[in-house]
Amino acid sequence: MVMSPAFPEQGDPTIPTDQMLGLAPAEKPRSMFRRGLEVFVENKLAVVAVGVLVFYVLFCFFGPLFYHGNTTDVQMGEITLPPGAGHPLGTDKDGIDELGKMMRAGQITLEIGITSGLLASVIGMLYGAVAGYVGGWIDAVMMRAIDALMSIPIIFALIYLSATRGRTKTVFILAIALTSWFSLTRLTRGDTLTIKVRDYVAACRMMGGRNLRIIVRHILPNTIGTTIVNTSLTIANSVFALSVLSYIGLGLQAPEDDWGGMFATGSSYLDQNYWWMIYPPGISIVLIIISCNFIGDALRDAFETRLQKR
Amino acid sequence: MTAYLIRRTLQSIATLFIVSLATFGLLHLMPNGVVRGMLGQRATPQQIAYVTHKLGLDKHIWDQYWIWIKNLLHGDLGTSYIRNQSVDNLVKETLGQSAYLVGLALLLTIVLAVPIGVLQATRRNTVTDYTITTLSFIGYAVPVFFIGVILRDIFQVKLHWIPTANQIDSFSSAFGQPEQMVLPVGTLVIGLVAGYSRYMRSAMLDELTQDYVRTAIAKGATKRRVLYRHVLRNALIPMATLVGLSLPGLVGGALLVEQIFNIQGIGLLTINAAQQNDFVVVLGTTMLTALVTVLGSLVADISYAALDPRVRLT
Amino acid sequence: MALLEVQNLHTQIKLKRSVVQAVDGISFSVEAGETIGIVGESGCGKTMTAMSIMRLLPNGGSSPEGSIFLDGRDLLQLDEEEMAGVRGNEIGMIFQDPMTSLNPTMTIGRQISESVRIHRGTGKKEAHERAVEVLQLVGMPSPMQRAQDYPHQLSGGMRQRAMIAIALANEPKLLIADEPTTALDVTVQKQILELIDSLRERLGMAVILVTHDLGVIAGRADRVNVMYAGRIVETTQTERLYANPRHPYTEALFDSLPERGAESGTRLYSIPGLPPDLTDPPKVCRFSPRCRYAQDDCRAQDPPYRVDEVGHEFACFHPVGAAERSGEDLKVTLSEATSRQELPAGEIGDVLLEVSDLVKDYPITKGLLRRQIGTVSAVAGVSFTIRRGETVGLVGESGCGKTTVAKLIVGLEDTTSGAMKLSGADLAALKARDRRKRSKDVQLMFQDSYAAMDPRMRVRTVVREPLDIQKVGDKAAREARIRELFDQVGLPASALERYPHEFSGGQRQRVGFARALAPAPKLIVADEPVSALDVSIQSQVLNLMKDLQTELGLSYLFISHDLSVVRYLSDRIGVMYLGKLVEIGPAEAVYSRPIHHYTRGLLDTIPVADPEVEKAKASAGVAGELPSAIDPPSGCRFRTRCPAAQELCAQVEPPLAPFGSDGHEAACHFPIWK
Repeated sequence: MVMSPAFPEQGDPTIPTDQMLGLAPAEKPRSMFRRGLEVFVENKLAVVAVGVLVFYVLFCFFGPLFYHGNTTDVQMGEITLPPGAGHPLGTDKDGIDELGKMMRAGQITLEIGITSGLLASVIGMLYGAVAGYVGGWIDAVMMRAIDALMSIPIIFALIYLSATRGRTKTVFILAIALTSWFSLTRLTRGDTLTIKVRDYVAACRMMGGRNLRIIVRHILPNTIGTTIVNTSLTIANSVFALSVLSYIGLGLQAPEDDWGGMFATGSSYLDQNYWWMIYPPGISIVLIIISCNFIGDALRDAFETRLQKR
Repeated sequence: MTAYLIRRTLQSIATLFIVSLATFGLLHLMPNGVVRGMLGQRATPQQIAYVTHKLGLDKHIWDQYWIWIKNLLHGDLGTSYIRNQSVDNLVKETLGQSAYLVGLALLLTIVLAVPIGVLQATRRNTVTDYTITTLSFIGYAVPVFFIGVILRDIFQVKLHWIPTANQIDSFSSAFGQPEQMVLPVGTLVIGLVAGYSRYMRSAMLDELTQDYVRTAIAKGATKRRVLYRHVLRNALIPMATLVGLSLPGLVGGALLVEQIFNIQGIGLLTINAAQQNDFVVVLGTTMLTALVTVLGSLVADISYAALDPRVRLT
Repeated sequence: MALLEVQNLHTQIKLKRSVVQAVDGISFSVEAGETIGIVGESGCGKTMTAMSIMRLLPNGGSSPEGSIFLDGRDLLQLDEEEMAGVRGNEIGMIFQDPMTSLNPTMTIGRQISESVRIHRGTGKKEAHERAVEVLQLVGMPSPMQRAQDYPHQLSGGMRQRAMIAIALANEPKLLIADEPTTALDVTVQKQILELIDSLRERLGMAVILVTHDLGVIAGRADRVNVMYAGRIVETTQTERLYANPRHPYTEALFDSLPERGAESGTRLYSIPGLPPDLTDPPKVCRFSPRCRYAQDDCRAQDPPYRVDEVGHEFACFHPVGAAERSGEDLKVTLSEATSRQELPAGEIGDVLLEVSDLVKDYPITKGLLRRQIGTVSAVAGVSFTIRRGETVGLVGESGCGKTTVAKLIVGLEDTTSGAMKLSGADLAALKARDRRKRSKDVQLMFQDSYAAMDPRMRVRTVVREPLDIQKVGDKAAREARIRELFDQVGLPASALERYPHEFSGGQRQRVGFARALAPAPKLIVADEPVSALDVSIQSQVLNLMKDLQTELGLSYLFISHDLSVVRYLSDRIGVMYLGKLVEIGPAEAVYSRPIHHYTRGLLDTIPVADPEVEKAKASAGVAGELPSAIDPPSGCRFRTRCPAAQELCAQVEPPLAPFGSDGHEAACHFPIWK
C-alpha cells in the first residue's frame, strides 16, 4: 500500500529545503496529546460516559447543597413511601428519604472507588515496571507472588481483609486497592519487557544513557498509556468490589452506607416490590461501571492512534 | 515435557505456600488478636486467655503456622468454635452444590461462547456483530449481583415462572431441582459468556489475519474448511489458559450467586462465617478455593502445552 | 491462446476513508512452461496482481475487474466454489514468509496432504503417501520424518520447500511465487530459485515470479513486466530489457543498483521523490514527477503503450535513447547532473580501531535448574582494523555473527574476551562510566530506524538525545547543532517538529544518520542501514553516507548481507562465517579474486542484474544451510559445506594468513589461489 508521508522523499541533499510539498511551514505539527484527545472526542459513547461521571460527581457532592432530604431521623409515619411529592425517590423502611440517601451513599462509593482505583494503579505500575526492568530472579519471585495473590478469589481476600481489619473507609480503600493491582502489574511488566529490548532503548544505551534516563525518558512514557487506560477500568472494578462487599453484608459499619448497601437492603424486600429502593442504587452502580469501561476503551484507542499514521 | 510438568507443579506448590503464608499472616497479625475478634469487645480477660490457650494461639507464631500447615496437609482444616464443627465437615456439606453450580456454569459458558464468538468473527462489522458486542459489553459490565436480583425480580417475583421453593442445601437437592438451578447458573453464565465470547471473537479475528489462512485458501480449501480445520482449532487452544485465568473470578461470582439465591454452598458458608468472625472457617475455605484455582490453572497450562506444538516443553 | 491471459485488470483496495487503485488496468499473458517476472518497488501493485489472479485479496479488497483467462476460462467469472477448485489445483502459490504462511499447529505432512485430499478426494493414507512423495520432489532431506514435523521445527529453507510442496502437490499448470526468497539467506535463496526452475522444467508448468530484486529476475525469467504505480510500464524479453531498457523508470532502477556504481566508480543514480498516492492517481504519466526526461506532454496526458520493432512495449512519450535516435532536443532536469559524477574519494589515515581476538559466547541453559549446558559461539576470535576515513564492510549470512560484532563495538553487549582499541584505549577494558563517555566516538546506525526511535518523541528530541546524554554544549549550541545536522542529511528544519512515524523509510534513515552524526563520532557502525529500503531510496542513503564520509573524515564499519552494497561503499571487505572472519582484503580483490571457498560461493549465489552473467553461472553456490553455532564444526567451521574440504580441515583450524602484499588475508587450508 502506498502511504503518502508528510512530504516527499528528496532526491538530492543539495535540493533546497523549501521544495518540500504538503507542509505548511509556519504551522507547528500537532502534538501527540492533541491528536489523542481528538480521537477520544470522536468517540461519542466515551463523551457521554464522561458526562455521566461528571453528573454523578455533581449530584453526590453538590446535590446536598440544594436538596435537603431527611437522611438521619427515623420517621415512622413515612416508611416505604413510593416516589412522589416531597420524596422524589420515595423512602425506606425507616422513613429516610431515598434521594438524599443516594447522594450520601454515592459520595462514599465514589470516594472509595476512585481513591482505591488510583492507589491500585500506582502500586500496579511501579511493581510491574520494577519487575520487568530488573528482570532475572527478582522478577521471577515478584511474579510468583502475584500468581499466588491472584489465585485467591478477590472476594475472599476482600471478605478476609474487611473482616479482620474492621469496616472503616480507610480499610476499604486499602483492601480494595491491595486486591486490584495485579492485572495492571502484569500488563506494565509485559510492556516494560518489550520496550526494554526495543531498538530505541538500545540506541539510548549505545549513546551512553544510564538506566535512570532509560526508565524516565523511554520506558515510563511508553507504558503510561496502559496505566491510564487501566486506571479507568480499575476504578470500575473498585466500585464493583465495594458494592459486592456491601451486598453480602460486609460493607461499611452502619450508619454509613454506600450504593451497594442500599441495593442489598432494597433487594431483601424484593417480594414486597419496593422497586425504588433497588433500582436507583443498582442502576447508578451499573452506569458508573459501564461509563468507566467506555472511557477506558476510548482511551485505549486514543493512545493507540497517537502512534498511527492519520 | 516431564521437566515442564515438574517445574509447573513446583511453581504451583510455591504459589500455594505463598497463599498460605499470606492468609495465615493476615489472620494472625490482627490488631486486637483473633480471639478478641471472635468473642467480641465485651469478653473478659479470662475468657480470652482460655480460648487463646485452647486454640493454641499462645504458642509462637511459627509454631502455630507449622501446626496449621501440618494439619492442612493431613486434610484437617481446623474446627469452627462458633459452630462447634470441624471445617472439613462444613466443607463436605457445601462443596457438592458449589461445584455443581460452577461446573455447570462453566460448561454452558463454553458451549455458548465459542459459537457466538465464531459467529461474530465471521460476520465481523455487521449488525449481528454490533448487537452481540453491545449485549456482551453490558453483560460484562453489569455486576453479578445486579443481574441475579433482576433475574429473580422478573422470573420469580413478577412472572412466578420459578417457584421460590426449598433452599438448596445439598448436592442432591441441587441436582434434584433443576428448575431451582436455572437462575443461579443463568446469572453466572450471562457474565461469563460475555467475557468468553469477546475473547473468542478477538482470538478468531487474530487467527484470521494470519498468513497461514491465506495459504489454506490458496490450497483450494473452502471457507468452511479454512474456518473449522485451521482457524477455529488454533483459536481454541488459548481458551485453555482463559479458563484457568477466569477460575478465581468464577468462584467469586458463585459466592455472590449463592447469597442471592440462598444456596448453602461454600460461598455462603464463607460469608456467614465472616459475619460471625469465625475466622478458622474463612481461612479454611480461602485455602480451599486457592487450591482449586491453582490446580485449575495448572491443568489449564498443561493442556495448553499439550495442545500447542510450539510451546517449548523444556 | 496463452495459458494465462490477463486483460485490463483493475484491483481496488478499500481503506477506511479512501480507495486505493492498487492495480490499474494491466494486461499480460503467460505461455505454458515459461517464467514471467513481475518486478517493481514496494507499493507498485505487483503482489496485488498476483493476489488478484488467485482472487486472494485481503479483507476489504473489492473484487478485481477485467478478465483473467486460465486456459480460456475467465477466473473472475467463477463462483467461490469453482475458484476453490482452481486454487491449489490449477494454480499453486508460494508466499514470502514461510514461517507465518504455514499453520503452526499442523504437521507439514498434513498440510500437504490436505491439498491432495481437497482436490483429488483421496483417502488419508494415499494423501499422506503423496505428501511424502512431493516432499522428496522438493528436495526435503528424510521426507518421511519431516512430514511428521511442525513448521517451527524446520529451518527457513526447509519451510519454503514445504510451502512449495503444498503448492505443487497437485501439479498445477501455473505457479505464482510472490517474493519466494526475500525472507531467506542468499545461499538458500539460490537453492530455492534453482528448485523452482528445475520443477518448472520437470512438471512443465508456467511460473510467475514476483520480486523487487532485479537480480533474481535476470537469471530466471523469460519475459519481464516492470510495474510502477499500479501499471505495467514496460514489458519485453528479459535479455532485451536488461540490455536496452526503454522506460526511464526501468533505466533509473538499473542506475540505482549499487553494483553498477561499484563497477563504474560513479555515484549511484537516485530517483527523486516518491511514487504517487494511488488513492487519487494523476491523469498524466505517473512517473513524470520523478523522471529525468519528463517534458510538458508527460505532465499533461497519460502516455499510451508503444511497441517498437521487436515487440518491446513501454508506456512513454520520450523513451530512453529516443532523443539520440531522432535528434529531438530534450531538456534534461538537473538531477541528471548528479548521476554520472565521480565518486568522492576521501583520504585514508592511520589506524582508528583495532579489534583483536574478539570473542562472544552466549550461555544456553536447560532443564529444571537452568543449568548451563553449552554456549552459542556467536563471535569466535575476530581481528581486524579500521583506519581513519576508511570503510570496512562486513558480510555473511544471517547468524554469522556480524551483528554481534557491531553490538560489541558500540557497547551494547559485553565481550567474552578480546580487545577493541579505539585510538589506543581498549573499549572492552574500560569501566562502565568511562565507556559511556567514549561512546560518543562510536555510534550505531540501525537497520530499522523506526524501531530505533522512541515513537513518542519528536525527531528534534530524538536527534538531540546523544547531545543531552554526552552533555555537549549548552541549549542553544545543541539546537544549532541539530539544525546543522538536518541540513547535512538533506532534511528541512521544519521536519524537526514531526514524529518518526510521519516520515518515509528513506527519510527516517536520514534522521537516524543525523542522530548517529550528532556527537561527532569518529566511527559509525552501520548495521544493514539500507536493507529495508527500495533500491531507488537505498541509493540516496548510500550516496549521502559516502558524501558525508569525505566531508567529515568518518570511518564506517558497514555491515550487510548484500555483497553488492558492501562492495559499492567499502574500501575493504571482511567475510564472516559462523563467528569467524574467513577472509578480509581490499574490496576489489575480495570481489574479483576470492581466496576462501565460502567467499567464492557467496559471490556466486548473489543474483546479478544481468541475464547473461546469471545464465552463465554454473557453480552451485553454497550447498546446505548454516550449521548451529551451539556446536560448531571442528577445525574449519565451513568444512561441512565446502567443496574442497579434506580431513585436515576437520582437525586443524586454518589461521588467517596473508595472500599477496595488498593486505588480502584468508583462513583456508586449500585456498582457491596462492
